[in-house]
Amino acid sequence: MNNLLNLVKKELRELMTIESAISIVVVMILFVGLGFMISDQNEQAMEPVRMGIINYDDQGPSTYYDTVNSTLDGMYDSATRDQYLIKLDSPAILSDGEIISLMQDNGLSNLLVIDPNFSENIDSGTQGKIKAYYITENSGAFGGIDSDSVQGFVSAINGAVSTKLMENELSVDSAESAFLKSPVSFNMPDNYTYINGKLYSDITPSAISGAMMSQTLMVPIIIMIVIMVVGSIVISSMGTEKENKTLETLLTLPVKRTTIVSGKILASGIMGLVYGAAYMVGMYAYMDAITASAGAVNLADYGLVLEPIDWAITMLVMFASILCALGLCMILGAFVKNYKSAQTMTLPISVLAMIPMFVFMFTSWNTLPAAMQAIMFIIPFSHPMMVMQNLMFGDYLLVFAGLIYCIAFAVVTVLVTVKLYNSDILLVGFGQTRLGRMLAKFKKAD
Amino acid sequence: METLRVDNVHKMYGNIEAVKGIGFSVKEGEIFGLIGPNGAGKTTALRMISTLITITSGSITVCGYDVATQGDEVRKSISYLPEDAGAYKDLTGRTYLRFIAGFFTDNEETDKMCQRGIDIANLGDRIDSKVNTYSKGMMRRLLIARAIMTAPRFAIMDEVTSGLDVMNAHDIRELIRDIARSGVTILLSSHNMFEVESLCDRVAMINKGEIIMQGTPAELKARYNAKNLEEVFIKGVKSVEQST
Repeated sequence: MNNLLNLVKKELRELMTIESAISIVVVMILFVGLGFMISDQNEQAMEPVRMGIINYDDQGPSTYYDTVNSTLDGMYDSATRDQYLIKLDSPAILSDGEIISLMQDNGLSNLLVIDPNFSENIDSGTQGKIKAYYITENSGAFGGIDSDSVQGFVSAINGAVSTKLMENELSVDSAESAFLKSPVSFNMPDNYTYINGKLYSDITPSAISGAMMSQTLMVPIIIMIVIMVVGSIVISSMGTEKENKTLETLLTLPVKRTTIVSGKILASGIMGLVYGAAYMVGMYAYMDAITASAGAVNLADYGLVLEPIDWAITMLVMFASILCALGLCMILGAFVKNYKSAQTMTLPISVLAMIPMFVFMFTSWNTLPAAMQAIMFIIPFSHPMMVMQNLMFGDYLLVFAGLIYCIAFAVVTVLVTVKLYNSDILLVGFGQTRLGRMLAKFKKAD
Repeated sequence: METLRVDNVHKMYGNIEAVKGIGFSVKEGEIFGLIGPNGAGKTTALRMISTLITITSGSITVCGYDVATQGDEVRKSISYLPEDAGAYKDLTGRTYLRFIAGFFTDNEETDKMCQRGIDIANLGDRIDSKVNTYSKGMMRRLLIARAIMTAPRFAIMDEVTSGLDVMNAHDIRELIRDIARSGVTILLSSHNMFEVESLCDRVAMINKGEIIMQGTPAELKARYNAKNLEEVFIKGVKSVEQST
């Protein structure tokens, strides 16, 4: 045990460098910053759209001037309307350039212009024209929100004018015209969704899926990064040991090979867990920022929430998966010659981590065909990528089956590693073995 | 009493026989030299003796323990210093010695063993510098200190002065003499015939995986009518080449 402790301490001393500490802190800062940024964007997106309007239609006899005005007024809270709906007067028709200048002068990003002949055209049976002007600076994920709202405003104006037109043309009252436009009643509370044994109204699977996607999209990426980082650490460590010839010294010390292997795996596992925990903290801040935003679907309201025990299971699955990666890397590390060759040896691990990442970024376990489910189950890195969703939906059988599989996989890889550490391959390389020489001969003959 | 006994040992790498039935023994307190041209099988022999690689056939006994079946016991008795060996570059000389000492002792004994290593290395204040700032000579001193501070019964050194300048090589040879005087049995391999002649009590020469001669430097010089061991080496290799 002393030997193991001694080895783990030495490995950690080598792994816990200033560089690795900086990278952990930077990643945390990045995620927390990302969370705040998204939160800020969300809040901005939830604010009423600040919009300007120039209504040229008031310059002559107008049938629909009041309709347009009252529709837009109705889109805002009366207490704050003047802050967000900026009505601009212009006695003369402005050019496009003048309109942009006017928007800039008034700090507006969106502006609607009602054509001077708007009412006249509609009265004569042709469509009235509305133009929208935008000044865009934010090209992020929420950059299109304002313009979407403006489209909605135009749609509302269209509806209101249509109602007015029906009242005028068909001589029906406003209730009848509303019925004529919408004979079917279907509102948000009319949607019912069954989740984890409970029926919820006011929510659709599409909204749940969208919220879920936004919260768990980053998980596979984080897992992939952690696995690639710890894999690279352990393979590089083996490459460095061989390059510096410290491995030969280590193997002649009075310590069992199992202890040496366990020391390396444990130390790298702890580093992996530190990376994982750092990413989790960052991700928590990121998720919190998203779910805390007003108007966003709060999955907790629908029973889709991770309890502390679920987070513990998540960490356990993640740790088991990291151990699998380390076991595989130790096996690959046995074949590296030096630090340089170690870098290329991380490729198989990267590929194995990337496949489930792409799969689980866009789909979930239940939507996969059986063959794909089998492949995903066999790859031990899939399990931490899907564990959160599975826990939220109460699929504990899959979670625990995955956990047991990962532990068994890790044990097997450790045993294979110990076997390799007891063989000549570690020092003389694969090329000096019978199989290696046979392959070399075959290659030459080829 | 014999510290090392090598009996008819063979080593195969696939279909290639790197060591072909070698046999020799090293007595307690002796400095034994293993010499031979590049690729002769010296390092393979040393690696088998130090439990690093398996033996295809034959037997090796170190301090009474069988290398094939009692590897853990063998490793408690030996200290192996590979050719061009290094230390963990991010550790200081002191932490490296403490790390190694931790495998042999506990608590206060670790401090004593570490201090012994520091004394042997004789690096002054630089013992607290990181290993990656050491010169080759300093690194070699640290590694010899690492190998000897544990008071092994048997030290195995592969090309111990390889790549060192005259002064450093001289210092290291003096250090090896001191170690031998303290009762440690030493098996060393070297290409430096002057070093072997001045240090070793007995010598074995290996060529193409076979021991072609062994004895004291004086016996070998007399046998080949040579002025020094270098001449013995050249004549020995040539006689093997002519006979094949």
